[in-house]
Amino acid sequence: MNILLICAAGMSTSLLVTKMQQAAKEKGLDAIIWAVSADEAKDHLDRADVVLLGPQIRYKLSHFKKEGEARGIPVDVINPADYGRVNGAGVLDFALRLKR
Amino acid sequence: MNRFISVLEKNIMPVAGRIAEQRHLQAIRDGIILSMPLLIIGSLFLILGYLPIPGYNEFMANWFGDHWLEKLLYPVGATFDIMALVVSFGVAYRLAEKYKVDALSAGAISLAAFLLATPYKVPFVSDGAKEAIMVSGGIPVQWVGSKGLFVAMILAIVSTEIYRKIIQKNIVIKLPDGVPPAVSRSFVALIPGFAVLCVIWIARLILEVTPFESFHNIVTLLLNKPLSALGGSLFGAIVAVLLVQLLWSTGLHGAAIVGGVMGPIWLSLMDENRMVFQQNPHAELPNVITQQFFDLWIYIGGSGATLALAIAMLLRARSQQLKSLGRLAIAPGIFNINEPITFGMPIVMNPLLIIPFILVPIVLTIVSYVAMAAGLVAKPSGVAVPWTTPIIISGYLATGGKISGSILQIINFFIALAIYYPFFAMWDRQKAAEERGTADIPTDSNTAKQM
Repeated sequence: MNILLICAAGMSTSLLVTKMQQAAKEKGLDAIIWAVSADEAKDHLDRADVVLLGPQIRYKLSHFKKEGEARGIPVDVINPADYGRVNGAGVLDFALRLKR
Repeated sequence: MNRFISVLEKNIMPVAGRIAEQRHLQAIRDGIILSMPLLIIGSLFLILGYLPIPGYNEFMANWFGDHWLEKLLYPVGATFDIMALVVSFGVAYRLAEKYKVDALSAGAISLAAFLLATPYKVPFVSDGAKEAIMVSGGIPVQWVGSKGLFVAMILAIVSTEIYRKIIQKNIVIKLPDGVPPAVSRSFVALIPGFAVLCVIWIARLILEVTPFESFHNIVTLLLNKPLSALGGSLFGAIVAVLLVQLLWSTGLHGAAIVGGVMGPIWLSLMDENRMVFQQNPHAELPNVITQQFFDLWIYIGGSGATLALAIAMLLRARSQQLKSLGRLAIAPGIFNINEPITFGMPIVMNPLLIIPFILVPIVLTIVSYVAMAAGLVAKPSGVAVPWTTPIIISGYLATGGKISGSILQIINFFIALAIYYPFFAMWDRQKAAEERGTADIPTDSNTAKQM
């Protein structure tokens, strides 16, 4: 399970990555989770099973949805409240639900 | 207030999205990002060249000879001074990528187009002469640096547009099937490249007989000067800050969107300061508004200057929610990352907190501008300090080692604290009441919570 997080600079999502990795570990889930900036994202899309955008770049959703459809991977925006509170477990669940 | 938010959401968001997604603006922003690491490396040498330590110059001269500074600044010449070349390649490369045509060729052609538009003439002052004469045989450093930035961007877009149109119309040299693909690929760029260079060449020939003489002169006159005047003014800065804050209020990354448009202007203003600073670190610098002005003096703790808010939560919050948010937000806040606050508190779509969130940066812009313009505080010297650098350090470095830069940051922090505090206290009371199960304060915060 490869989860790619995208935000403007890849910095604030990297906070979330650590928490999501913890949550995945607790679940005994084998997941690779990483964060990149929107500019670098296209080089990473091919390796992702599911793509999540930070809410601050939700205006890029349609762009990434298109890229995702071409590759058959789900793309969505992280819930702002979960994002702000860095709710790793919540966002992980969200990613798993999207994948299904 | 709720109406105001829905108006923001309905009207600003689509426009912001379109601007942020506009292909050429995106290519410009991404192309400029390519030059940023170089500028930061160059800045390191710049800082070392002008460390404000008594006796530093003498010490360095003793150890490394009289020309130590000149030698130390070689990397500055290879980073700041070739900004336009890097941007010329970078913008074309990124734009070609978006069109899904060969980006590497587009970058190379754009570079050639830029240099074709640049007269190889450099000013030369011979011994005893008072005025410089123009001699040929050199690529002029002044135009391949920040002064050539706009020409580089425009020609990168023009040349890549011509390039991709011809490729997409499939007007290319086709070789027979037996030829290896790598060989035939190298011929693909031939016709479009020829067309691009012919267009620029003819345009240059025409410009040479006009009073403007070159691309650089006409762009400086029609674009550089008016845009710099607008972007470098207090009014321009306030408008930019207001837009950033409005966008963030709806949860969009305002700095990335506004910076995408204003970046080239702020960058060239920054470099004007750097050139003066490099000649004489104590000289009066021409510009207050540069990229660093916003990153380091206004957005202390992230857009909205929320470091003050993080500290207030950490030290004074009574509600569990804000207490734990304060603990979470403080470390990123020191490095000017504030998404935990904007989305977690939340400020986004929260009518109560949007008020100080917009007010604080505008007040800080006015205070900082006046302090710098009046000469009370050193202006940003053109040293490119990354926006993630913590305050006090960043203010010192970005002014070329002047303590007044740090002091202004501390003052700005306390101004932000003073304005945020009453709003923070109100929100905290409300959260604490909710936690006790007595949400007795009627507000319209429900919409914010639902977010």
